[in-house]
Amino acid sequence: MSATLVDRPVWTECDAPVLPIATSGQTAAGLWWAMRNHPADCVVALLLTLLTGVGVVAAPLFLGRLVDAVRAAGRPDLIPLLVLTAASVVFGAVFASLAQRATERLGARIAADLREQVLACALGIESRVLERVGSGDIASRVTEDVENFVAAVPLAATVFSAATTIVVSAAGFATVDWRLAVAFTVVFPVYWLSLRAYLPKAGPLYAAERRAAAGRGQVVLESLHGLPTVHAYDMAEPQTRRVTAASERTLTAALRAQRLFIWFMKSMNAAEALGLSAILLAGYWLVDAGAVTVGEVTAAALLFHRLFDPLGTVLLSFDDVQRAGAALARIVGVTLVPRPVPTSNRPHDGPVGIVARGIRHSYDEGHDVVRGIDVEVPAGTSLAVVGASGAGKTTLAGILAGVFPSTSGRILLVDTRGSVDIGDLDPGQVRDWIGMVSQETHVFAGTLRDDVVFAAPDSTDEQVHAALHAVGAGPWVVALPDGLDTVVGTGGHALTAAQVQQLALARLLLRDPPVVVLDEATAEAGSSGARDLEQAAAALLAGRTAVVVAHRLTQARACDRIAVMADGLVVELGTHDQLVAQGGRYADLWSAWSRRY
Amino acid sequence: MAGSAASVVHQACEALVPLAIGLAVDHAVDGAPPVAILIAVAAVLLLFTVLGAGGGLASWVLSSTALREAHELRVRAVGHVLVDPLAGRERRPGELMSILTSDTRATAEIVRVLAYLASGCAGLAVAVVVLLRVDVWLGLGVVLVLPLLVLGIDRLGPWVERKVRDSRQAGGLAAALAAELVHALRPLRGFGGVPEAVQRYRRASRQSLDTMLDTASASALVTVVGQLATGVLLVGTAAAAGTMALSGRITAGEFVTVVVMASFVAEPVRRIASSVEQIAGSRAGAARVAALLTTRIRRSSGATGLGPLTVRDVAIGPVVGLEFTLAPGEVLGVATTDPAAADAIVALLAGRAAPSSGSVGFGDIAVDDVDVRRHVLVEPHAAYLLGGTLDAAIDTGRGADRGAVDRAVAAAGVVDVLESLARQGEALLEGGANLSGGQRQRVALARALAAEPPVLVLRDPLTAVDAVTEDAVARGLRSLRRKDALGTVVVTTSPPLLSRCDRVVFLDGDGPPVVATHARLAEIPAYAEAVLR
Repeated sequence: MSATLVDRPVWTECDAPVLPIATSGQTAAGLWWAMRNHPADCVVALLLTLLTGVGVVAAPLFLGRLVDAVRAAGRPDLIPLLVLTAASVVFGAVFASLAQRATERLGARIAADLREQVLACALGIESRVLERVGSGDIASRVTEDVENFVAAVPLAATVFSAATTIVVSAAGFATVDWRLAVAFTVVFPVYWLSLRAYLPKAGPLYAAERRAAAGRGQVVLESLHGLPTVHAYDMAEPQTRRVTAASERTLTAALRAQRLFIWFMKSMNAAEALGLSAILLAGYWLVDAGAVTVGEVTAAALLFHRLFDPLGTVLLSFDDVQRAGAALARIVGVTLVPRPVPTSNRPHDGPVGIVARGIRHSYDEGHDVVRGIDVEVPAGTSLAVVGASGAGKTTLAGILAGVFPSTSGRILLVDTRGSVDIGDLDPGQVRDWIGMVSQETHVFAGTLRDDVVFAAPDSTDEQVHAALHAVGAGPWVVALPDGLDTVVGTGGHALTAAQVQQLALARLLLRDPPVVVLDEATAEAGSSGARDLEQAAAALLAGRTAVVVAHRLTQARACDRIAVMADGLVVELGTHDQLVAQGGRYADLWSAWSRRY
Repeated sequence: MAGSAASVVHQACEALVPLAIGLAVDHAVDGAPPVAILIAVAAVLLLFTVLGAGGGLASWVLSSTALREAHELRVRAVGHVLVDPLAGRERRPGELMSILTSDTRATAEIVRVLAYLASGCAGLAVAVVVLLRVDVWLGLGVVLVLPLLVLGIDRLGPWVERKVRDSRQAGGLAAALAAELVHALRPLRGFGGVPEAVQRYRRASRQSLDTMLDTASASALVTVVGQLATGVLLVGTAAAAGTMALSGRITAGEFVTVVVMASFVAEPVRRIASSVEQIAGSRAGAARVAALLTTRIRRSSGATGLGPLTVRDVAIGPVVGLEFTLAPGEVLGVATTDPAAADAIVALLAGRAAPSSGSVGFGDIAVDDVDVRRHVLVEPHAAYLLGGTLDAAIDTGRGADRGAVDRAVAAAGVVDVLESLARQGEALLEGGANLSGGQRQRVALARALAAEPPVLVLRDPLTAVDAVTEDAVARGLRSLRRKDALGTVVVTTSPPLLSRCDRVVFLDGDGPPVVATHARLAEIPAYAEAVLR
């Protein structure tokens, strides 16, 4: 296999159906980046672990000498040797504990750095990519994979100390007799052969297991987000079947991986048997030849016996290390999704207008949802977008607001200092120019204050109250038992759909961008609620440039101009009166809307 | 059981390895004839064969049991959450997700951990027997000191358990926040909340880190205590046995066995200590899983042949004196000027809220005596679609009849959605994310119609649909439900829907409900105002 094939990232285009998984090189680079932020911790952990290894090896060597002392003629003094053994035991125990603590804490810090970085990347992912891969995959990476990686931290500490112990032990053998050390090395070819058979099979099996688990995560998360639906339809049974099927696939994959793992474990027992036999045979021959004492053979056998554990830890944890590695590769993979590089980050100056040129968009190859739209919204004016559902209104609104980039075409924001392409703006800053309320709203779990100031964290309580009042939420907020400290969101005080919309409008009011895009921001309420929301929206729109996707034509009529969309194109554009007089699609919509039933 | 037995055999063999080394060194290495060393090597190989077979069997049985157990626990817990609205009510989806995946796994691991504990005890027992045979006092000394050490280590269990639980909880909260932020990414982007979201996650992550650092210190303490305990045992045994060997009470060969065995004893003791630690972890997970499983699933009789939905003089929230009987095939409109009144009526019909006075029933049978969800379907207003295809989204396990699905799809005006999905390759993204709001609403309506519930309650079902489509779907809805002689309640202020209702209940502020046709009600100024667009 050529190097280029191995090193090429799985990610090629943003049309890929899954998020990328980092290659081993990229994963190592990600880990190295995280370690470099804690250089002192790394050095301390390494030193402590080395000292632990010395303690672990010293004890059996002293025990071997005790054996010789006991077998010797006369009455030798055992006290000094016993004191040395005791000292090495205490030394080993104390440093083992300190090393474990240092390594685990270092690992926890690295894991925290990585998970924060990966979440920041996940939140920065292009919407187009996000919708294609589903939030389940990302959610499972920022929750389950992160958790798997974090859980592997103590293990990594153990593996590291075991590996160090093996190296120090090899030196210990050499201090006894080099021929015993050679006998010990017969285990390595056996380990090498079985690892060579194991690793190539293990990789794909564990990867399949991870994939199955991600699929399961998606189904479980979907069920949890859709709980109200599941309860309403009493469809626990079919939905549980879907979860069961996904969970069973994970189980099958896990069992398959387990079977291979056990085969590998048995091959390790074989290596231990061979190693011990080799040391005993070599010991017999060396004692016979008078080269070593019985005590020294005992020390070598003891040392090897004590290595069973660290050897097992290192080799058997290839499994867990690979698991953690796979999780890490999926975590680092999120950071590999290419993100648009902002080239401009100047603040806006004065009122801002929108100029859209040649906007086309498709969610997949072939079918364009928006098929070439040129539209201008001069600063301070408002444009309503109406049309049948599925005409591309929401897509156009998202593109105009810069929530996701169009397949082709440009959106320019024009202020007194000239124009800026919306795609060139820093993602953190674009919302200072243009804000959006989408159809999909969310109440974040936490206090009402936290929820509203999400868009403008520095807001004072007076500002929050003023914004809530402006969108008509004042009366019900004042009536809440704990006011702004009331806990809302899942598990908290339940809000009506209209109240949720008011919060969304209030957030934007606090953020105060010169341009706003509202996508059917009044759709969630019945008509009486919708009229209140229309007034709330009007409070937000006052003095701003606005694009309003509306199916409530009273709201469209209030805008300066109206664009009618059909099948991805703007088919009519003008004021309400012009379009009604024109007798086209808008006139039909208007007559259906204003018809007396 | 088989797994535990195999694990015990495995660990007993491990305990015999030091004895084998001691015997080999004493009887074979020390100037014995070559045949002795060959016998010793053969014995070592035999011992390891049994050891390997036992270990392999134990590992397979235990891990497959643990995996299966976790799977079954997960499916049961999911079933509970999906059946019972009370089961997961106070937890966020991310938190529930972590319970359903990680905690079920940790809970099931108890099978493996207990076998590990049993085998640790077995290894310890073999070691003690070997020591007793060498010298009774030496053996007794170990037998007396060991339980004290193990019990001492055990006492750290609850303390570490608490740390682990705190750490898990903080980690779970951070995970829940991460899941929520990813889920709410679109609105978050719209108002520019991403930088603040990153900050908030960072705070949660640092809190979780603090608890992890704390837990690392705690488990390091457990390590040092365990190792010192076994070290004391090793040195003490070596000192006692050495003195005995020098005074001729035990032979030099027995001294070798004792020293080798004393250094092995660390292994089963450590095994026991780490089991204690893991049991703590399993318990913490099990407690959270159990909380989901304790809610009892109520299943009242699915009585058939019930009378029509009857609401008698009900007062609930701002609503007073609500009264109607829903005839088969009737479409009843409910129009309110106060959204809270609409909420109250929907909650009442969904069985989520009890009236403060009056009653709801089917004919003469009170609503408490029947499984409301079998008879009344209240479509949630926020349309969320489940499954990866449109077919799966409409299939709710009810009214599986293909004809019913086709008629529902036609009535709800979903045909154009089918076409637009076909162009996108059929796949429905999570929650119906690749459909527009209006398309999602209509698919949800088709799903409700295809389920053919005896009573269907809709709340503002077509708010995201354009006027022309709304009119057509309102017509389709009425004719389908009427043809099947099934009752429908539509809570709305939409004139196209209300004009298709047989009767409309109008609630204006605190006044008593007025029941009449839409055309009649339109003469009341307050009603005309309420349904004005």
